Amino acid sequence: MKRTVDVNIPLGPIHPCFKEPARLKCEAKGERIVGAEVELGYMKKGIERIMKGRPWQEVMFLAERVCGICSVIHNMVFIEAMEQISGISVPPRAAYLRVIVNELDRMQSHLLANFSYCYTIEHETLGMYLLDLREQVMDQLERLTGARVTCAYIIPGGVRCDIPRNDAELLQASLDRIERDLRRYSGMFAEGPMIALRSRGVGILTQEAAQRAHVVGPTARASGITADCRLNHPTYRQLGFVPVSRTDCDNFARVMVRFDEVFQSIGLIRKCLQDLPAGVIRGGGVCKAGETRYSGEAPRGELTYFIKSDEFGRIVDIQIQTPSIMNIEACCHEMIIGADSIADVTSTFVSADPCIACTER
Amino acid sequence: MTTYLYEKDLVPQKYRILVAYRHDILVRQIATELDIPVQELRRYLIEHFDMILLENLPARVEMADAHADQDDPVALVLGREKYTLYLQIMSGAAMESIFHAVSDRVRAGTAMEDAIAYGRERIREELRR
Amino acid sequence: MTLLQRIKNMVRARSIHVAYVDVGSCNGCDIEVLACLAPRYDIEQYGIFVHNNPREADVLLVIGAYTPGWEEKLAMVWEKIPDPKAAVAIGNCPISGCLFNRRGSFVDPPVKKHIPIAAEVPGCPPRPTEILQAILSVRDSVFANWEESHP
Repeated sequence: MKRTVDVNIPLGPIHPCFKEPARLKCEAKGERIVGAEVELGYMKKGIERIMKGRPWQEVMFLAERVCGICSVIHNMVFIEAMEQISGISVPPRAAYLRVIVNELDRMQSHLLANFSYCYTIEHETLGMYLLDLREQVMDQLERLTGARVTCAYIIPGGVRCDIPRNDAELLQASLDRIERDLRRYSGMFAEGPMIALRSRGVGILTQEAAQRAHVVGPTARASGITADCRLNHPTYRQLGFVPVSRTDCDNFARVMVRFDEVFQSIGLIRKCLQDLPAGVIRGGGVCKAGETRYSGEAPRGELTYFIKSDEFGRIVDIQIQTPSIMNIEACCHEMIIGADSIADVTSTFVSADPCIACTER
Repeated sequence: MTTYLYEKDLVPQKYRILVAYRHDILVRQIATELDIPVQELRRYLIEHFDMILLENLPARVEMADAHADQDDPVALVLGREKYTLYLQIMSGAAMESIFHAVSDRVRAGTAMEDAIAYGRERIREELRR
Repeated sequence: MTLLQRIKNMVRARSIHVAYVDVGSCNGCDIEVLACLAPRYDIEQYGIFVHNNPREADVLLVIGAYTPGWEEKLAMVWEKIPDPKAAVAIGNCPISGCLFNRRGSFVDPPVKKHIPIAAEVPGCPPRPTEILQAILSVRDSVFANWEESHP
């Protein structure tokens, strides 16, 4: 509901703490925030409009560029939606490789999100440690797929390239190193008294409010909601996936959930490498006409594609519901309200891991 | 007429959000439910909502359909929580008074459809205010 | 070259302040710019500091394909930067619009139309080392002997 207040504090579009442009208009009473509005429009490229009428071969690359941070999951969800429409089955080895790449992507995204949070609360040392750790994950991603960011690894009916034995061993060794370092860094975050002062009890998002706004991903799992789309994914079910969750509802819980999920991802990748089935990595198939709704778990939460395709595999209608839409909305209309100072606004906003490129497309 | 110093007029951009595939279906559905013209509902949404809330409308409606007003049939048809807590297109106090008027009528023996039609009329008045 | 100019060159070469502005990209180039901060690439060893504050910046990294929201605003940001200054376009988007430059999209590339660009780094996205190299080459070609070449 629109109101008029006397103090209006705009943050953005260019702000040292925000990776991307967004305009936050905070209504304040003294320094206490009583309301906030977000105005977007700095990143609206119209990807969905470009996608319409194009064949899947082109849309695949466009889908990947909806978001550069979580590009693998956009690729995966789009391709799996097309597979669901066309009834294409995936060879087991390819399905496991998909999970490996997706979890590596999740690890780098979570590490980047936690880096941003540490950077925002001015704990630069820990931030730099995490950013350095992320480079090791990026190395593994590059070794496996051939590119650091937009790798287009997943194709209908399989994946683009296999994992050689040598790479698998290097990946194992790298995971051991990452786990050892991350255990130390997450301990630093969990036990740092100054970090706790800035994070615990700040930016409360109650479970009811989270449910109303359809909050997803680590933001929801920090508020006690155990929803996770990986539970519905056949490969993850084979791996015996169980989501992590916390009930603290604050910034601290959100960051810790991300740390926990990185450990969980390391475990999933290890399990995949251990049970990696032999066989082909491409089954082939033809994309057909149909309409579907398909969800996958992005690093930020549930990502849904609504796709309608024609008989030649062209996209007739598409809408992408990215997790950041729900998370930013809840962040600005629930979490920020009642923050004690403007400094808490930026840290709370960053703790929800906002991705404006996803939100506007 | 508003003059903007730094910001631009956001109406075209908000309109672009509202005419996307799912948003369009959704806005038409709400407009049919409340029996108001689509254009009018769009204008109301553009004037009252910020852009992120507009983007989030489909997810909120989905959650409202799944969880809102489970315990009261009148509230479910009228959309008591759906329009206030979930969609936030009107204030809770206004909705509460409408809901009480409608449920009083139902209890007094008015047919369900007539009572709901009366409630819808009150909601329309509230939106036009 | 005067002594004063030589001192200025020496000081400037070790103190480049960078601001970045995203005018509608996919975020991929943003995180590659952020990755430059990582200890592995360690941009501070070259005397480059990322502030994201236009008023104290020397180099503006422009990322993205120029969406309508940035009309006038990008030029405003560019005017706020004190001389000597240079803008570097990161990624394919500011150069050509990359794959967003299709019928039906809202973008208006290239960014060259809107503000002067000193260097361009193609790639989708470019590697952090390439971004670093571009900033360093801009330092040598634009900032060296600034006063003598702009009397």
